[in-house]
Amino acid sequence: MTYIGAEVIISPLGDSAEANWSAVYDNRSGISLVQGAGFDGEAVFLSKILDFNSNSKFTALLIQAIEKIRTSIDESIITSAKTIVIISSTKGDLDVNMNDQFGKPVAAITEHFHLAHDPLVISNACISGVLAINAASNFIDANIYEHAIVVGCDVISDFVVYGFQSLFAISDKPCAPFDNSRNGITMGEGCGAVVVSGSRAIFKNQPLELLSGTTANDANHISGPSRTGEGLFRSVKKTMERNQVSAEEIDFISAHGTATVFNDEMESVAFDRLELSDIPLNSLKGYFGHTLGAAGVIETAASMQMMRNGVLLKSLGYQEAGTSKALNIISENRKGELKTILKTASGFGGGNASLIIRSI
Amino acid sequence: MTRIKAYCHLREDFCSVNGQVIAKRDKDSEDGWFKQIYKAQEFAYPKFHKMDGLSQAGFLASELIKRIYPEMVTAYKDDEIAMVFANQSSSADTDLRFQRSYEQNGAPSPSLFVYTLPNIVLGEIAILNKWYGENMFAVLPKFAPDFFVDYSQILMSAGSKAVLGGWIGIMEKQVNVFLFFADDSGQDGLEFSPENLAGLAEM
Repeated sequence: MTYIGAEVIISPLGDSAEANWSAVYDNRSGISLVQGAGFDGEAVFLSKILDFNSNSKFTALLIQAIEKIRTSIDESIITSAKTIVIISSTKGDLDVNMNDQFGKPVAAITEHFHLAHDPLVISNACISGVLAINAASNFIDANIYEHAIVVGCDVISDFVVYGFQSLFAISDKPCAPFDNSRNGITMGEGCGAVVVSGSRAIFKNQPLELLSGTTANDANHISGPSRTGEGLFRSVKKTMERNQVSAEEIDFISAHGTATVFNDEMESVAFDRLELSDIPLNSLKGYFGHTLGAAGVIETAASMQMMRNGVLLKSLGYQEAGTSKALNIISENRKGELKTILKTASGFGGGNASLIIRSI
Repeated sequence: MTRIKAYCHLREDFCSVNGQVIAKRDKDSEDGWFKQIYKAQEFAYPKFHKMDGLSQAGFLASELIKRIYPEMVTAYKDDEIAMVFANQSSSADTDLRFQRSYEQNGAPSPSLFVYTLPNIVLGEIAILNKWYGENMFAVLPKFAPDFFVDYSQILMSAGSKAVLGGWIGIMEKQVNVFLFFADDSGQDGLEFSPENLAGLAEM
């Protein structure tokens, strides 16, 4: 069995999974209107960690997250030769060094934590986080490593804000995933971390079971989702088949839900084709914004908190159905035992990824 | 046994397939280096001209491998070929261009922005071939043959039947591309081992 636990979330809502859980349970959002953040100096809604002073916010967040991990597992795992650190990120330290966005942060955490191996950086747009957790599981199943620390991190920069503005993809209000009035993403920043291991004993608190998933490309468009949801359909189908999990067993779907018109529509089509439309579903982007390469890890960690607390969390920003295929979107927090959950992600480059987590 | 069936190098001044040089850069040409190869090899894929350097390099190298090893597209179902790519500089070459668009040229360019992710090249190759398989793009300090072999074997033990992979380094004037195709069919080709991969990459 492969275990996943020791989750960490650092976001505008707090610097631990517990603090973030307490905020999202109150349906609080990290999104605020940030003056002067847009290309023409306009105000933009962002989920931004304010008052954070560091030469490299990216490196500082990685270190902070791994420090937190250290307190919740057997400390010797960090420096073990049987451990790999996997970083998922799209733009790394772009603001500090555009020519080499990962070299210095990777060297800094290797030195800071005396890691036995260079961390592996996975950069596959918005599926990076889910892919990194799956890669961790794959390395462990193949006996290449015994433990993996997966850290997803991306920070907001002018570069990404201006870029998404140029695509007219940024919402003029806090993003409203799956809602009829949705009109784009809200950028977010933060860091999520989880530990994946073949050993239950390294976790100080009870871990969950990770059922490793798959990726599938849409083979359709580099910056727009497939209208048929082909890649997401294939990824989820394979992930369920590989783990022999049926639709009836899935209690909850943590969807990608960026709140662009086309992405959320695509997801509704894919889940309809998969006959998963009735399963309670949310997008966590209304709380954290879209944290790009960190999203898959942050949202997996938040979903693990939902499982631990037995709560189906409201999909913040959702009011009225707005996709061609119906979805069972969670409109208010409610109690519920979550035994088996599905996490999905989709992104630029046509990537789609999925994984399953089960309580023990 | 998994074997390396074909490979392609792209460097600043030459392009080779299975170690045989097929194009040399003409420094006096009006065309950029990748366009020279595209024309000389008589490719016809207009989308090539919209791509950034990383995607153009991935297009050329993967198509040249396909020409010498057509089984790459005829022997496999649409989800059986995994792609495992890596480089050191991510999409920095295009990132710098995008930054110039809003710092010097008036406005952020959406057509550049969509290429400011290293995995876009995987999307372009998937679109071209209608491949729905596994994708992985890693950013590594240097070419790491163990990574390619380990991760390819992982994917091949979980449903993929073949791997198109390799190093795709494009940064300003520097071109360091080495793509390979590996599968389990037949007796031709070197064993897909870290040593053999490292040896071929050095050529």
